[in-house]
Amino acid sequence: MNGDAPPLPAPGEEVLYSESFPIRGNDFEHGGSVAARVKVILKQLGIPSDSIRHLSISNFEAEMNVIMYADEATLELQVLSGEVRVILADRGPGIVDLDLAMQEGYSTATPEMRQRGFGAGLGLPNIKRNSDVFSITSTVGVGTTLRYAVQFEA
Amino acid sequence: MAEREHSIYFDPGKCIACVACAQACPTHAVRVREGMARLKPELCIDCGACIDACRYDAARARTSTPADLRRFKYTVAIPSMTFYAQFGREVMPEQILHALTHVGFDAFYDMSWMVEMVAGATDAWISECRGPWPRISVTCPAIVRLIQIRYPDLLDHLVPIETPRELAAKLLRRKLVAELRLQPEEVGIFFVTQCTAIMNSILAPVGLDQSYLDGAFGINELYGPVLKALSHGEPAERELGALAASESVSRAGLMWAMSGGEISGMRNANTMTVSGVREVMGTFDRIESGKYRNVDFIEAYVCPGGCVSGCLVIEERYIAQRTVQQIGRRLRGQNSVKEEKIRGLLRDHFFAMEDEIKARPVHAIPRDLRQAIAWKRERSALLDRLPRKDCGACGAPDCGTHAEDCLSGESSEDGCVFVRIANLEKTPAETRGNER
Repeated sequence: MNGDAPPLPAPGEEVLYSESFPIRGNDFEHGGSVAARVKVILKQLGIPSDSIRHLSISNFEAEMNVIMYADEATLELQVLSGEVRVILADRGPGIVDLDLAMQEGYSTATPEMRQRGFGAGLGLPNIKRNSDVFSITSTVGVGTTLRYAVQFEA
Repeated sequence: MAEREHSIYFDPGKCIACVACAQACPTHAVRVREGMARLKPELCIDCGACIDACRYDAARARTSTPADLRRFKYTVAIPSMTFYAQFGREVMPEQILHALTHVGFDAFYDMSWMVEMVAGATDAWISECRGPWPRISVTCPAIVRLIQIRYPDLLDHLVPIETPRELAAKLLRRKLVAELRLQPEEVGIFFVTQCTAIMNSILAPVGLDQSYLDGAFGINELYGPVLKALSHGEPAERELGALAASESVSRAGLMWAMSGGEISGMRNANTMTVSGVREVMGTFDRIESGKYRNVDFIEAYVCPGGCVSGCLVIEERYIAQRTVQQIGRRLRGQNSVKEEKIRGLLRDHFFAMEDEIKARPVHAIPRDLRQAIAWKRERSALLDRLPRKDCGACGAPDCGTHAEDCLSGESSEDGCVFVRIANLEKTPAETRGNER
């Protein structure tokens, strides 16, 4: 489990742009604001709109996951030539059974969350579907780290 | 898009360079430069927000004039649904139509039945179409422009069905040419509109090579003459008009004057209404991020509450909404258009747009990723040196836009009064004296 490992680019890779965004658990008031800010940045950088769409879907899901389940998290955006990468490390309860969490329809959401339209059990599978690279690590009682990336023609 | 294709211009005799228009513009298409508001044609969506914001009557609509009528042998006015809501609940659409023949037109044409047809066609088309969801209405031409420049990803969401006004004008011209033995170009068909974006859609159509309309008059210009004609009309004629109205004008069509009207006639779709340009942009941002995929159809208007609050209306929006409801109640209730007939016409491509709606992206940022990152860093650095008061004194609507204008070379950092003051304070008094 390497939830705390710093996001290192592979040898030969160069992160051209990066920015970090804090997300607080239970902060429904600002739910989606990080995803929205990242979208503005990606637009400013001229990333292909198709890639922005996929990333925005994932970022929103990931951000809401933190707000609903974790204490706090940092979303790190990394832009490389031909790839946008997101590393989202949270401090929180962690996920007991990762395989189960990756199943469509599985959710631990409370009835209140479901009433607000969340908790369909599509969050993590949706992120995976919208990413070219996806990995998740989690330590119960410590937190979860999500990494995903979308690639595009540089 | 060239400036002359826009329906908005600024009157240099009236503009006092106050930046209210620039700050009201949802697409940042206005700058105040050299003491005068100026349009950036590639960004303008003709929504009319600047006209609403201008307190000096300097932002003007480019509309048709009586001189335009003289170019034709035979002229017809097609009023928008909103025009019917301008004269209170006592005046029925048929009376308004008749009054139009007293103010310079040879004839009038009510298109409410075509509006109802298009609503039915949209309904039928959606029931047969597969994503992407949600589908977005093309009724508001400013929304279509907004999508072209800001949301190119949503172009596939637009319903490719031509607007009622264009379809009505197309049919009407054919009919008049046959009945009156005129050449097509001898017939002048004019829209009566609340909306600068519709003016622009006639000057420079989208989804159509050339508009079937020959021009449009603003409701604000025709209101006075029509009101006079209404009060001078013979009582018998007025009575007749009110009677005839219940026979011909479609209630479902009339409802399109306000938001919610378009979806009110739809049977098959799971729908949503959004109005007001900033709310619409928020909704489009969320659609881009994959939300609302369970919604079939979104009716979106740049103007709050729909067309009744267009920038060229006379009647106050809430009164106009009430008038629509009350006149609507007096019109024939049942749908006059058969669904089977509409499905048949749909299959024959009667409602189809002639052209594809294409993106019109505005490239302010470099295409190369490294250059774009450098651009973004420079923008952030510049913005850090600006006061972020968004006062507009530089002529740009806000500090972020001013920073971008500086990067494009259109303006300079010390176009900002706060930067200039800070520079003066930095310069020691004696050197300032020497400079003098």
